[in-house]
Amino acid sequence: MRHVEHVMGTTVSIELADDRPDAELRSLIDETCAWLHEVDQRFSTYKPGSEVMRVRRRELAVDDASADLRWVLGACADLWRDTDGYFDAYAGGLLDPSGYVKGWSVEVASARLLERGSTSHYINAGGDIRMRGEHPDGGPWRVGIRHPWEADKVSWVLALHDGAIATSGTYERGDHVINPRTRTPARGLRSVTVVGADLALADAYATAALAMGESGLPWLAKRAADGYESAVVTDDGRAFTTTNLPAAV
Amino acid sequence: MRRSTAAAIGTLTGAALIVGVRLSVQPPAAPVVAQAPLDLADSDTSAKPSAPPSGSASKKPEAKKPAVDKEAVKSPFKDGVFKGKASNNPYGTIQVSIRVTDGKIAAASATFPLTGDSATINPPAIASLKQETLTAKTADDVNAVSGATYTSKSYKESLQAALDAAKA
Repeated sequence: MRHVEHVMGTTVSIELADDRPDAELRSLIDETCAWLHEVDQRFSTYKPGSEVMRVRRRELAVDDASADLRWVLGACADLWRDTDGYFDAYAGGLLDPSGYVKGWSVEVASARLLERGSTSHYINAGGDIRMRGEHPDGGPWRVGIRHPWEADKVSWVLALHDGAIATSGTYERGDHVINPRTRTPARGLRSVTVVGADLALADAYATAALAMGESGLPWLAKRAADGYESAVVTDDGRAFTTTNLPAAV
Repeated sequence: MRRSTAAAIGTLTGAALIVGVRLSVQPPAAPVVAQAPLDLADSDTSAKPSAPPSGSASKKPEAKKPAVDKEAVKSPFKDGVFKGKASNNPYGTIQVSIRVTDGKIAAASATFPLTGDSATINPPAIASLKQETLTAKTADDVNAVSGATYTSKSYKESLQAALDAAKA
């Protein structure tokens, strides 16, 4: 069963491939969407009453925030260190953990689906995908990576059962990807895809590497040791992959 | 013969010292150990020998090689300097060369960029990224599409939206 939901300022596509009665699948999708809307209410920087905005305005101390928000802020701090400062929840000067929240909320949604017995599904939130199990006809999920110049083509097709694929690129938002160190638009890489176990990390790594520019290439190469593979296209059209990228055959 | 071997070692040591000095100009974030340069170039070398002298490039290399140590053993290697195929990567070109003297590998070296960050990030990084040709395939056989689709507007124009519409 498939479903498309507009939430968190983006579009989320959900497919459940489990062989179960429609009513059960429908209820699982409803619960997933309810969770994503809850995350939006609590973490959006566009909703003045959200927990993040209350922390931003110092109406709420981090120590008094929800366990979820404290977890998110801790993860952002870890990522700031692990990315040499290129993943920065304060990149614009004000607290904005959105770059982590989207991947994390989908990661949680997928884990909840699994708890409820859905072993085969994917959730695609704005191009960042968490998947488990098999596609409806059997076999690993086949995921195309959008070609950075031809929107109707893919550069790679990856095949995996369980894991996350996140892509960040400058082709969609242009100069909106900012190098937090120089406060200037990121240059050098046009598209960065990271594949790994956790969508929040894959997404953050892709964003950080994009901000790094070409020095993101060797940085990404080192992530492979932790199981995060990558596929990159530079501004001048060169393509790079790490050795164990799960390309489909 | 001894003199030519010594000359080769002298050349290599000089090159290695330059590498060592340049590497130390900018303290790298990650520890950069001067590696055996030949490890960087896979098996692209057109010259036969595939087992370069290992160990630190900043040390004096040892001309002595096992198995072909005796002059009586006929060496499969011709004397001369052999350059491997130049290999391009985002940070410049890497090229490996060896010098064979009296049928033995007397010296080996690799050129790679020595400016700025490249000098510090190049050696550990190249081994695990490979360059390939960017291809544009049709998305006939995919279940989902990953891309930088940040907004609902960009979703509408995306392949994922087309997939969702087709399967709805």
